[in-house]
Amino acid sequence: MRFDLDMPAWKWPFYVARHPFEGFEDVRWKKAYNSKVALVIVLCFFIVTVAARLMTGFVFQTNFEKVFNVVPLFSSSVIIFFIWVVGNWSLCTLFNGEGKMQQVMCVTAYALVPYIISQVVYIFASNILTRQEGTILSFISGLGLVWSAVLVISAMKAVHQYTMPKTILAIIFTIVAMVIIILVLILLISLFQQIVMFVYSVYTELMYRFNMS
Amino acid sequence: MPLFKKIGAAALAAGMTVSCLTLPASADEAYYGYNYNWWNEPVPSQNGYVVDRVVTGVDLGVGTFSEPNDIFVDNETGDIYLVDTNNGRIVITDENLNSATVLDTFTYTDEFPEDKSIVKKTNLDSPKGIFVTHYKGETLLYIADSMNSRVLACYEDGRIFFEYTRPSNDLYDADISFRPDKVVVDNALNVYVVIPSITNGMVQFSREGTFNGYYGANRVETTAEVLQNAFYSLFMNREQMRKRARAVAIEIANCDIDDQGFIYTVTSSKNADKDVLKKLNPAGENIYLNMGMDQFMFGDPPLYYGGTSYASTIDDVDVDSEGNVFLLDFSEKRIFQYSDQLDLEFIFGGEGSQKGLFTSPTAIENLNGKVYVTDGRKNTITTFKLTEFGKMVHDAVEMFNRGLYQEAKEPFEEIILRDSNYWFAYIGLGNAYYTMGENEKAMDYFYMNSKGGYNRAFKEYRMDMIREYFNIFMIVVLILIIALVVLSKVIKVIKKKKRAAGGDGNAV
Repeated sequence: MRFDLDMPAWKWPFYVARHPFEGFEDVRWKKAYNSKVALVIVLCFFIVTVAARLMTGFVFQTNFEKVFNVVPLFSSSVIIFFIWVVGNWSLCTLFNGEGKMQQVMCVTAYALVPYIISQVVYIFASNILTRQEGTILSFISGLGLVWSAVLVISAMKAVHQYTMPKTILAIIFTIVAMVIIILVLILLISLFQQIVMFVYSVYTELMYRFNMS
Repeated sequence: MPLFKKIGAAALAAGMTVSCLTLPASADEAYYGYNYNWWNEPVPSQNGYVVDRVVTGVDLGVGTFSEPNDIFVDNETGDIYLVDTNNGRIVITDENLNSATVLDTFTYTDEFPEDKSIVKKTNLDSPKGIFVTHYKGETLLYIADSMNSRVLACYEDGRIFFEYTRPSNDLYDADISFRPDKVVVDNALNVYVVIPSITNGMVQFSREGTFNGYYGANRVETTAEVLQNAFYSLFMNREQMRKRARAVAIEIANCDIDDQGFIYTVTSSKNADKDVLKKLNPAGENIYLNMGMDQFMFGDPPLYYGGTSYASTIDDVDVDSEGNVFLLDFSEKRIFQYSDQLDLEFIFGGEGSQKGLFTSPTAIENLNGKVYVTDGRKNTITTFKLTEFGKMVHDAVEMFNRGLYQEAKEPFEEIILRDSNYWFAYIGLGNAYYTMGENEKAMDYFYMNSKGGYNRAFKEYRMDMIREYFNIFMIVVLILIIALVVLSKVIKVIKKKKRAAGGDGNAV
């Protein structure tokens, strides 16, 4: 079967999900990095995050916001994903990682597929299960999470051609890098906000001065 | 610009309309009725209790009160006993607060030994609490005589028949003073004394005056200090640990006893999360914990404004004959009334000097739907009476708690008509429809109101659905399976043919 890997790009994510240890090596060997597929998966990830908030059954709903806001969900799915990609790439280029940024993005997205599927199952099941059967639900979501975590580790190992300990270390430091990136981003945003406010106040001053209001 | 102005004006007008709409119907009260919804937000509600009268000592003809600290209503006779702390006296009046008698001198009966019988007479020194019970046709008064370090047990005419004093037992720590604050007595005439400096619980005396130990201690709060102590104890020796401040439970502030003999205690600390209100069984265990939760929130939820947090400090508890629980919040001067299943029904009172507001509320009692609250700074007794809405809610919730869900349906519908924000009515209606078997309607009412109720109704609903559609579902599944099998066979055959054709093509 190893030599029968000529499949369409959309099948690859499911292939790696079924072959958690060798799948990403095959991806590397076949150069099956497809950005379009990866972006579709990220979109699905975002949709599933939103759906989990909106469509989980009432019995299993834990967030009760009166006003639904999509921005935090977007930043906790899509933005976090890209920060991971950037953080991982920028760290691993410094430590002899072979992966390019596009490749890191693709394999990470591929690794998310089990989680997305488990979330979909979770959302459906939460609407037909009662609280007494809740263990099934936590099993489903736990399974999806663990599976995706294993895939992420395997993906990082394959795409950068690391040994196992180095992969784990790289992942831990990637998380640190993500924290730093988020901090810098927040700093930047607040700085730009102040600049915008400054320009705006100068503008209003000028408007008052020349009586153009 | 004019457009903006228009929008601004419209917004202002809308805001004004909204604020007008939120005014409750009975706007002549000094406080606005409110309640909490599913999101734990305060929403305007109708008043369940309104002010009836405000009575001072002068009105009763006994001179001004001075810091009254406790009030007790005798359920059997309707007599009201007021502890007039700084005047060192007990004022006894009737249910309607019309006339009063004063009890300030007490005499020792002959049962006491020589030294006391000679003095014969004694007075109170800042009494803090009182409890009245009936035994063999006699009315027995138990007075927590704080500065005299004793609990006086006397008849209604002032004849003392017993004095409960500081126990000489080893269990009672030698460093701790005996300043009784509040007292309750159970049916077997065991005496439970609340002492502010004791964190082990209430001091329990038997009828004969022997010290039985402590009753109903609070649990230790899990604070940073407890964790710190646990950490230090890893490498400190016993001598060093002894010097560190020990984490102790928060002391009991007040207590009450209901008709079945359950003792209720409250803890008045802003930091207390656990054991704010407890209902104790005879073994001293909190039976509210059997309701499946470890912590309950009482009073207003903590708020945080500009560096200061505001939280309720529950200072007094009172339970009526139907099991309704009244809690007195000293920090916001409000009274919270819960049903016996701890569902919040009404909030009334507030801070201020108008009628129905308090500056320093000290004690609460009730009798037949009337609530009596003493104020230690205004030196008054304020009485509240149940409104029509309040009575409706009480009746409905009482029916609900007795399991008569269907019968409670109409009252709850009426409640929703009068106050559509009244959260508990939706749960009541949900239960009504659930017992009537209308699960879908029950789910509608439970949605965003009660998870447990929704779960139960949904389970039944699902069962109904399965019963109704199982046959069709199975038939569809079978047909699908057969179709899939047939389809796969067909596809295989087609593929074979294609391959055969393709092979031929290659060969040629």
